[in-house]
Amino acid sequence: MKKVMVIDDEPFILMMIEDIFENTEINVVTLRESKNAIEMIKKEKPDLLILDWMMPDISGIEIYKQLKTDPEISKIPVFMLTAKGEEDEESIGILKGVERYITKPFSPRMLLEIVLERLREDK
Amino acid sequence: MKDLEKINRLKQDLHNTVRELSNTYEELALLYRVSEELAGLTVEEICGVILKEVSVVTDVKIAVIFFYDDKSKNFYTKGFKGIWSPEYLTEDLIEILYKGLQSNKPIIFNKNLCMKCSNSRPSFKSALVAPIKGKKSHIGVLFLADKNNTDEFFTGEIKLIQTLLAFVGLFVENALLIEQMQKFLLSAIKALVKALESTSEWTAGHSERVTQYAVAIGKMMGLPLEDIKRLKMCALLHDIGKIAIPKEILNKKGKLETNEWEEIKRHPIIGATILGEMDYFEDVSECVKCHHEHYDGTGILGLKGEKIPLYARIVAVADAFDAITSDRPYRKRFPISEAIKKIINGSGKQFDPTVVDAFLKWAYSTYNIKLSDHKINT
Repeated sequence: MKKVMVIDDEPFILMMIEDIFENTEINVVTLRESKNAIEMIKKEKPDLLILDWMMPDISGIEIYKQLKTDPEISKIPVFMLTAKGEEDEESIGILKGVERYITKPFSPRMLLEIVLERLREDK
Repeated sequence: MKDLEKINRLKQDLHNTVRELSNTYEELALLYRVSEELAGLTVEEICGVILKEVSVVTDVKIAVIFFYDDKSKNFYTKGFKGIWSPEYLTEDLIEILYKGLQSNKPIIFNKNLCMKCSNSRPSFKSALVAPIKGKKSHIGVLFLADKNNTDEFFTGEIKLIQTLLAFVGLFVENALLIEQMQKFLLSAIKALVKALESTSEWTAGHSERVTQYAVAIGKMMGLPLEDIKRLKMCALLHDIGKIAIPKEILNKKGKLETNEWEEIKRHPIIGATILGEMDYFEDVSECVKCHHEHYDGTGILGLKGEKIPLYARIVAVADAFDAITSDRPYRKRFPISEAIKKIINGSGKQFDPTVVDAFLKWAYSTYNIKLSDHKINT
């Protein structure tokens, strides 16, 4: 069973993602606080990580940077959730390896589709 | 035990709320996406976007947009996705489309759809018709039929389509108005040109032909569609200044005197002055002013090279080509191949070489002339 980890401080986003993946073969793990994100990623070892760009404790950008320096988890593919116009060019430069940006509000159905598609590639 | 029940109920409530919010979120995402995509599009393009989005959201086999013509009281297919043919528009279907047009919200026909399959059309398992409305007018209807995975349309989707169409209708209405205005402008210009050309039998159809050549050259040069539209205006109007030149001079048989030539040479400036009265026509006016400039600086005003606006450099070649291949009061027309030779000889002198190159590409393919016919001159 494939595992997707979602880190976002908005509870609704997490619940919605859990809901759309409910009847799929994919296990969704959610995390609302980003403080212990790296530790949790190491523990869960997801096949795909969905990060929110803007979070109060540690931002998605920061988590991504740390992730990339840790060989144990640096290969995990990352999707980034952003609100429109949030991305500045400097950060985009740092985040070159992010596979996909998903702008909020996104279509839950489309998210499901692109995640399934991405995980199929890994087989 | 009671607490557990309560918790379970709350859980279920929360679950339902999340579902509901999810749908709202889906709706919001769709509106965001579509509003970004639709700005500045033509009616055809807008319809393409609607059909694409709607078939993804509802997962249907057939999606068609019909426009309603109020004058003829007819529906006609404006765009479709999936298997569709205008022949499918049979009377029973038209009846359903009417219901949709007059309704304020989407209407569903699940299973009980009373459409017999006729010779010209397969039957539909289920269908949805929804009105596309502008602020003032009924524009048409969206017709969806046969879902891929299920037989029915659901309330969530219906709401989604309703929201989408309420918003898209305004875009379509605006785009239609813009198209009407552009058509009106073009027809007003054509009428003006006709007024000019009716004063001389020799110039009848000249501006239309120059337009045809100029547009062909512009396309060969890879100009964007917007530029081609402007170029079209330029070419149609390039000789408008001749309206102020005495008829006797324009229609004179035999050679013109020097002072008569001087009079004719004023038409670019006069044309530019006339068009100066029109808003947003600065580029067209400039082109008209410069269409008798020579690339090497020996034209009427003495402008040179890139100083001459591009549209004017294109119209110059198109204008010359039509003049050479048309009869004049004082001479017979030249054959096409001779005219092409004259244009080639003028490259870098009277004409911009880049424009001449594009012209040649067009002329060779249009008149089926081999490059070798002109090798000596190129």
